[in-house]
Amino acid sequence: MVTKEEVMKIAILSKLYIAEDEIDKLTEDMGEIISFADTINNAADEGGEFDNINNLSNVLREDEVVPSLDREKILRNAKDSDDGCFLVKNIMK
Amino acid sequence: MSESKIAKLHESLVKKEISCRELTEKYIEAIERDNGELNAYVTVTADKALETAEKVDQKIAGGEEIGLLEGIPMTLKDNISTDGIRTTCCSKILEDYTPIYDATVWDILKKQNAVLLGKTNMDEFAMGSSCETSYFGGAKNPHNTSHVAGGSSGGVASAVGGNIAVYGLGSDTGGSIRQPASFCGIVGLKPTYGAVSRFGLIAYASSLDQIGPITPNVEDTAIVYDAISRYDKMDSTSKGRLGDPVYNTLKNDIKGMKIGIAKEYLDGVREDVRKAVEDAAKVYESLGAEIVYFDLPSLKYALPVYYIIACAEASSNLGRYDGIRYGYKADNYKDVNDMIKKTRSTGFGEEVKRRILLGTYVLSSGYYDAYYKKAQNLRGTIISAFNKAFESCDLILAPTVPMTAFENGHAVSDPVETYLTDICTVPVNICGLPGVSVPCGYNDKGMPIGMQLIGNAFGEAKILNAAWQYENAANLFKSADFGVKL
Repeated sequence: MVTKEEVMKIAILSKLYIAEDEIDKLTEDMGEIISFADTINNAADEGGEFDNINNLSNVLREDEVVPSLDREKILRNAKDSDDGCFLVKNIMK
Repeated sequence: MSESKIAKLHESLVKKEISCRELTEKYIEAIERDNGELNAYVTVTADKALETAEKVDQKIAGGEEIGLLEGIPMTLKDNISTDGIRTTCCSKILEDYTPIYDATVWDILKKQNAVLLGKTNMDEFAMGSSCETSYFGGAKNPHNTSHVAGGSSGGVASAVGGNIAVYGLGSDTGGSIRQPASFCGIVGLKPTYGAVSRFGLIAYASSLDQIGPITPNVEDTAIVYDAISRYDKMDSTSKGRLGDPVYNTLKNDIKGMKIGIAKEYLDGVREDVRKAVEDAAKVYESLGAEIVYFDLPSLKYALPVYYIIACAEASSNLGRYDGIRYGYKADNYKDVNDMIKKTRSTGFGEEVKRRILLGTYVLSSGYYDAYYKKAQNLRGTIISAFNKAFESCDLILAPTVPMTAFENGHAVSDPVETYLTDICTVPVNICGLPGVSVPCGYNDKGMPIGMQLIGNAFGEAKILNAAWQYENAANLFKSADFGVKL
């Protein structure tokens, strides 16, 4: 059972606004999907802990200094930039 | 006898029966004519395509040898990064995003002078089974445009099935290559996790995502797979293809091959699909393969496990869209937090937001153990069950989708019902295994039916060998009434 309050809380964690007229339908959909997901709680854990697929292991490399992407190119996709930096509103007064 | 379209076009280019420019122009004309109806492409790169074609023609004129994929017109799903060509994931939030680097798969093909015709439609951020969550509207099925092409790589499948591209690359997180290939009557391969680099693929669920080819037939799939399956230092989960090119063993005899069928895969599958798969098993028997039956009880947990893990990873991966560094940015905000929330709330579509919320829910304190951790444990259980199955068979035969392509608009109504269509495809992603969808018949309305061959990890050679033998014996391919006629 998913409640409206839970959906509102999750929305804050997800950095999403939910419109007043969307909340009931969304709570209903989420409830339906979560009760479907609940079927896994009928399963006995037979396989032990999850390891990793195909036994891939972490691949580490030496930390070497190499040329990176061009600053000017990176900033091309930003809506606001200034003096080679991303521009955002003040976060501290 | 089934034959490679890529090899045939390559031969025409080498023999100068057609120039690469003429070939490319034919495809561009076909896109201009048919894309209005199919909605397969969201960006067409005609000028760049013709530039590459010129280069290839000069090489041919100069007597230089050209590679098999050189000069062949193709497409990429719009979540594969292309330097200087917009890449939208078919989302409003990336509508005007232009990558500044190439995905490794495109880097490989570009260096071989593949002719990129454009970028193709998909469900927004690859979340969907009908292509209808696309910000640009869904791609249509070339066998009947009142039906969907499938998803999420619907645009690639529509373009290849409708012959407005020779082949394409899609991505498969829970069936997004195999399902649309099945719906559009063509071949789609989801390679083993790690076989093809994911560098430059815009992430949905990183432990499940995999890039793979969508082509008109099995031989073309083998050609494209061999080209893109390379180790890549830019992807820390990359391993590359283990062993020889799969093309070398494609046409081998399959006498004595053991093909497994799990009855759980056939439960709840529509009658016409079930019959087509059972008929395929008979074809295999006539080719000297042995059909073995086995149980796979943990299969019933695959779908909830998939949705929990995929949404959890998506909620984390999509955290990066904040309007600051790239993509859409909302106006009229009071502070940074408000800006991020407004950007995300108006930039993402409904299905994407739903999956972010679900993923955040299953990862939140209080629910983490009951959902996410439990799902990861069950993932281990399902992997063990598949490993055990491969002790008694060489590969597994199953339907690709429990039904044929649905009518436009059908998938949007009920989320859980739509999720159920992925039941046969998600286990392969959960286990990191390779799976290929091959056409195995048509229903009474002429809509294609697909079957799936699943192999053990890095077992692409085996499943493509079996797929080619079936395709060659059954000879079922029907071209749709669209695209280039040569």
